[in-house]
Amino acid sequence: MINSIPPGLVMFLGAFLVPLFPHIYRQFYMIFLVLLSAISLFSAEGSHLIIQVQDIQFLLHHSDNLSFPFAIVFHIAAFLVIIYGGHIKDWREQLAILSYAGAAIAALHAGDLFTLFLWWEATAFTSVILIFGGKTYRAFRSAIRYIVIQVGSGILLLSGAILLFQSNNEAIFKELDINSTAGLLIFIAFGIKAAFPFLNGWLQDSYPEASEAGTVALSAFTTKLAIYALARSFAGVEILIYIGALMTFFPIFFAVIENDLRRVLAFSLNNQLGFMVVAIGIGTELAINGAVAHAFAHIIYKGLLFMSMGAVLYRVGTCKASELGGLFKYMPITAVCSIVGAVSISAFPLFSGFVAKSLIMSSLGYEGLTFIYFMLLFASAGVLHHSGIKIPFFAFFAHDAGLKPKEAPINMQAAMVLSSILCILIGIFPSLFYQLLPYSTYYQPYDFSHVLSQLQLLMFAVFAFICLWHFKIYPPELNSTVLNSDWFYRVLFYKIINFFVIRLFSLWEVFSSSLIKVVNLIYVKVQTSSIQSGNSAVKVGRSTVLILFSLGFVLVCNYLLF
Amino acid sequence: MNIFNKLVKNFGKANSIALLICIILLLLEFAGDRHGETEYEDFLFFPAFFGFISCIIIFRIGVALRAIFMRDEDYYDK
Repeated sequence: MINSIPPGLVMFLGAFLVPLFPHIYRQFYMIFLVLLSAISLFSAEGSHLIIQVQDIQFLLHHSDNLSFPFAIVFHIAAFLVIIYGGHIKDWREQLAILSYAGAAIAALHAGDLFTLFLWWEATAFTSVILIFGGKTYRAFRSAIRYIVIQVGSGILLLSGAILLFQSNNEAIFKELDINSTAGLLIFIAFGIKAAFPFLNGWLQDSYPEASEAGTVALSAFTTKLAIYALARSFAGVEILIYIGALMTFFPIFFAVIENDLRRVLAFSLNNQLGFMVVAIGIGTELAINGAVAHAFAHIIYKGLLFMSMGAVLYRVGTCKASELGGLFKYMPITAVCSIVGAVSISAFPLFSGFVAKSLIMSSLGYEGLTFIYFMLLFASAGVLHHSGIKIPFFAFFAHDAGLKPKEAPINMQAAMVLSSILCILIGIFPSLFYQLLPYSTYYQPYDFSHVLSQLQLLMFAVFAFICLWHFKIYPPELNSTVLNSDWFYRVLFYKIINFFVIRLFSLWEVFSSSLIKVVNLIYVKVQTSSIQSGNSAVKVGRSTVLILFSLGFVLVCNYLLF
Repeated sequence: MNIFNKLVKNFGKANSIALLICIILLLLEFAGDRHGETEYEDFLFFPAFFGFISCIIIFRIGVALRAIFMRDEDYYDK
């Protein structure tokens, strides 16, 4: 019976009882719900819970080899976030974390697009609470923009699902045709959440504004749900290769110039999503395995990096590279965990990033996509630059900023240490990790060529950074805002609206003043002629002339238009 | 040993160790048959060269982009 309940549903519903529990008991209750939800993961593949509402079938619980690895890592992420946020006394944030994780896990098990839409929107409404949790005016405004975009994505998904249902009489969540209108709408909906180029502004805008634990939760679920959805519906769609390549490429430059280290990680997240999107676009078994493996590993190491920066923010009150430095002495455990996250994301051998990214790079090589391969290789050096070096270096080393904070709270340390252990275990035992992946293909990441090539690439990139820093070529970090694609709707959109509104008003001014002149002219003429003719019965007011004129105008328009 | 001490003095301990690791990685190229996913990677020291140049290019482009994309911190709050 319990196996038919969709995983995540107990977390989502159980979250509403969170306010009833006092602080510490609440954490145990939340962890209990995560474990309870995980039981349903071990149900057999297939559809387990179907509800028929009139003509529409809601497949509430469908599991297969693609949803399984995502569901496992979503549960792990939920568990880690709960531990990480253990010190938070605000029940609203805890409620949001649990319900958000639950909605994301339930979305993974949606068998039809209508069920997916419900959970898709549920993730939007629960996650926005975490951005409000930033408790600043900027966070508030960012949250409003976030929810508009997320709901917009959901509406596109629903529109696509309705069109699909109209033509096929079903809206199963499976491979879709991007050339159909329905498929295209759904593709864009997924693309918004996966932060495609020019649709990515919401990510860097909102994630760094959330609370410390909120950002960790946000980094795990929303975008990876979109990756899962793309892998299910659009695997092998060629355009994804080029979209993904652009995603890996451009954010690295923005990450290099960004000062806020949590925003650097948000750019880096975008870049990592690009690797997964490329792999989905390739669509072979090895590539899909690579996308899933990368998503799995990425959730853990990116979460770890966000955790370490969250710990810095919690203790120091800022995450700006220009104001940080020299924290290694005071926060050594956080620093070491951050370094583990950094080497994992940089894909150093023996860490999780290496065993995951190798699958994608090899699949590119096998398919002969040389140019894309080198773009991703270049992006790999970029990842090392902004996430592997910039994050730990500017926060914990660089210059001494004179800060003397305490080490992170014990619960934060526990979550970071657990995440670090997972990063290392995945890196050391890839064959066990690969068993979780959708397809059983043989792959050996640790051979002489692979390891040496990767080490040369990374170590010489590190050496280049060392030279730039040592010879004082690397410029200092500056307090600044880096423009991103959200500029289009935060600035340009309003400029265009202003432009047209001002023109419209000035046009109306010209029109109304001309109208008054004409009315005055007619009034004077009528009055003069009535006085001259000696007919004093004609008494016409200006407003009457205006009304007559307007009626005449409407009649003429009506005649011309209809 | 004197050369290494001199290097440590001028370049720093951690930096010198990194340089040493880089040299070892270059030498390892001759210890076995390294080949890449593409034929271009088979050139001698290709990954090392690619990693070094990529990092410099990223840095140069990043600095150049500052002029285009960097604004005051309160740009959106004005």
